[in-house]
Amino acid sequence: MTHPIDPIGEAGLRFYSKVSASISHEIKNSLAVINESAGYLEDVTRMAKKGMTVDMNRLETLAGSMLKQVQRANTIVKNMNRLAHSLDDPAVRTDLNTLIELMLHLSQRTTVTRGFKVSAAFSEPPVIIVTHPFFVENLIWLILNFAMDATGDAQSIELQPVKTTSGAKINFTGLDQLTQNAFENFQTEPVTLMVSALKSRLQADENKGMIILNLPDDISQPAQ
Amino acid sequence: MRLLLVDDEKEFVETLAERLSLRGFEADWATSAKSAEKFIDSRHYDLVLLDVKMPKVGGRELKKIIEKKLPGIKTIYLTGHGSEEDYHAGSAEAEYYLMKPININELIAKIKDALGKEAQS
Repeated sequence: MTHPIDPIGEAGLRFYSKVSASISHEIKNSLAVINESAGYLEDVTRMAKKGMTVDMNRLETLAGSMLKQVQRANTIVKNMNRLAHSLDDPAVRTDLNTLIELMLHLSQRTTVTRGFKVSAAFSEPPVIIVTHPFFVENLIWLILNFAMDATGDAQSIELQPVKTTSGAKINFTGLDQLTQNAFENFQTEPVTLMVSALKSRLQADENKGMIILNLPDDISQPAQ
Repeated sequence: MRLLLVDDEKEFVETLAERLSLRGFEADWATSAKSAEKFIDSRHYDLVLLDVKMPKVGGRELKKIIEKKLPGIKTIYLTGHGSEEDYHAGSAEAEYYLMKPININELIAKIKDALGKEAQS
């Protein structure tokens, strides 16, 4: 007996798995730095016991490096925790600046490894809507992955949350090679289902090299 | 024995190179493929330790570049990445494929093994 696969559920799990793999990689990098720093301290301690001179400045640098890596790993784990909790409530007041910042952190390893620079032009005052944060995060992840194949030579993508009369929008700019055909191909079943679940609308502007994700002010209210 | 370590995590690669130097190896380090190529162009190396996942040019791509310049050079991959697919592909290409964080004694044993009787420490 076969069970139908829920496309939106599968896309969510795929997204979560990719982020988990990326984060575990980052944590292992932090552990590797701490491991080498601690190992070096052990090495020089043994040398000092044998009467060799120890460079105290180098030791101070290593201690600082270990503290920095602990902070780095702590930030990574906090971000993972925030992503995990974004599934707690299907309709929650969400600051899009904060959500976009989280996604920049979570996607950083993927984007940097591919040689891309992803930044944000945060809104002041912050744009706050009631939405399903996990679906928005998942869509941002999917759009970023698509956008990396559509940027120009600058290999730079910018996200900008903007308040609108009906809610908010997130602009993804820097997609100089964007074509309508590629954009249509991007809108697979999970993408369209997610856009629908968010009561949102996805648009592309080839001339401006831009994708726009339009979000309602309150997902818990009937669609306008 | 001269080694070149390449990893985009500067603090990691710098400290590991220092620890290997304390154990008798001549170890240079670089944080990108571009700077690694400069080292390769200026000196001879017996073995390179390459991080698999690096921005722009990763370790597997860099290995091909280095092998064109130094045919027969031995390679050990280092990675924090744990996918089965990468492990199998990496293991087939390099002498060894080690996961971070690494044990220095294990690394040295692998370096010596890769270099055969030439290794001195």
